[in-house]
Amino acid sequence: MQLAAFPFFADLATYWPQIAKGLRDTILLSVTITVTGLIGGIGVFGLSLSSKRIVRYVTQSYVSLFIGTPLIVFLFLLYYGLPNLGVKLSPFVIAVLGFTLNVSAYNARYLTIAYKGLDQAELESARAQGFSQFQVFRLITAPQSLRTSVPALTNQAIQNVKDSSIVFLIQYIEFFAQMQEVASRTFLFFKTYVFTALVYLVLVSVVVLAARRVERKLAIPGLA
Amino acid sequence: MALLEVRNLVKCHGDKTVLDGVSFELEEGEAKVIMGPSGCGKSTLLRCLNLLNEPTSGEIWFDGEDVTRPGVDVRALRSRIGFVFQNFALYRHMSVLDNVALALRRLKKLPTREAEERALEELHRMEMADKRDAYPAALSGGQSQRVAIARALAMDPKVLFFDEPTSALDPIMVREVVTLINRLYLDNVTILCVTHDLSLARHISDRVVFLDRGKVHAEDRIEHLLERNDEVIDEFFGGEG
Repeated sequence: MQLAAFPFFADLATYWPQIAKGLRDTILLSVTITVTGLIGGIGVFGLSLSSKRIVRYVTQSYVSLFIGTPLIVFLFLLYYGLPNLGVKLSPFVIAVLGFTLNVSAYNARYLTIAYKGLDQAELESARAQGFSQFQVFRLITAPQSLRTSVPALTNQAIQNVKDSSIVFLIQYIEFFAQMQEVASRTFLFFKTYVFTALVYLVLVSVVVLAARRVERKLAIPGLA
Repeated sequence: MALLEVRNLVKCHGDKTVLDGVSFELEEGEAKVIMGPSGCGKSTLLRCLNLLNEPTSGEIWFDGEDVTRPGVDVRALRSRIGFVFQNFALYRHMSVLDNVALALRRLKKLPTREAEERALEELHRMEMADKRDAYPAALSGGQSQRVAIARALAMDPKVLFFDEPTSALDPIMVREVVTLINRLYLDNVTILCVTHDLSLARHISDRVVFLDRGKVHAEDRIEHLLERNDEVIDEFFGGEG
């Protein structure tokens, strides 16, 4: 992208390498936490269906804890709290860890809602055929729950892109942090933040377009 | 020895006794129907027989083996019993062919091609091969029922359980399914069918086990049941005989 091509933003062109680095780091973080959050969400969802009451209780408590508390608290706990215990992790690792714990809880909740809409007779039918509990999960429950919760999971991916901007508070210098620096150096606050908003809009639009393709590809024929 | 022998089977849900000492036998090649008023425990009985519901007490002998003893391989037992559910319960995210081939690939460990060939054989038998790539949502009730039967038969079960096979179908499709089950019976498939449909029972069954309030109230040929002067049976059939 050549900022000079857009006269309104030409003043920011000098800072293009810094902006590009921020953009790359935002994309890296967003993609990472979307993938780890999805894998974590499927894992937590699977555990929430366990036949063992204690496992169900622990996973439900986990989901309630992370949905019920602000993400920033956990990011600060990991960033400022862990060094008190002698553990020091990089801002990127902390960001991935904090987001994964949080996003997994939300994704598990979406999958649970989708699961409640499944035809339970299909699951009983699979058990009647001789499939193990894990096979029923892997072959029937997870594919159907994932496919019906694509819109919710997509919203979460969009949220991940937008929420990634808060990690500047734990010194992970991503796109938003870079733009703050550009704004404070140039004093072009209006232009800088309009540009920032437009870039986030483009990023989110890319996610939305990709999600629509995934939704079409994974739609179960004959079902809305 | 009978293929299936049920001895004094009891199933309780909390304080409620759903099955109260049920005993009966099913011979190989026989078609037996379980009938009775709503809530008499018919479907629970069927689910107890393949251990989808755990019996509270009693014995179930299947193919010479006590399957209620501790440590029995439940999954192996279930794979030898075909189960056709009331609402067909096809896997809606899979094509017809995959519905039938899934257990062959994952449980019988057949290579994909072999599993699909075997699945197609059963679909041909059920006259559903032309719908192999269709998804369950695109099938009629009768077609879904045929796929569900093909799925059960593909595993080459010792016995086929039907749970209310005609309750979700219109009268024309009911006739189709009756003909189909009758054909299976003539092919020497052992059948145990829970139904409230007198016409189905008349066409397919050798004998009827009549349940009432969790107990075997009577077991006889259907025409003999209808001839009995029995208040419970008469009330159930409502003078249909």
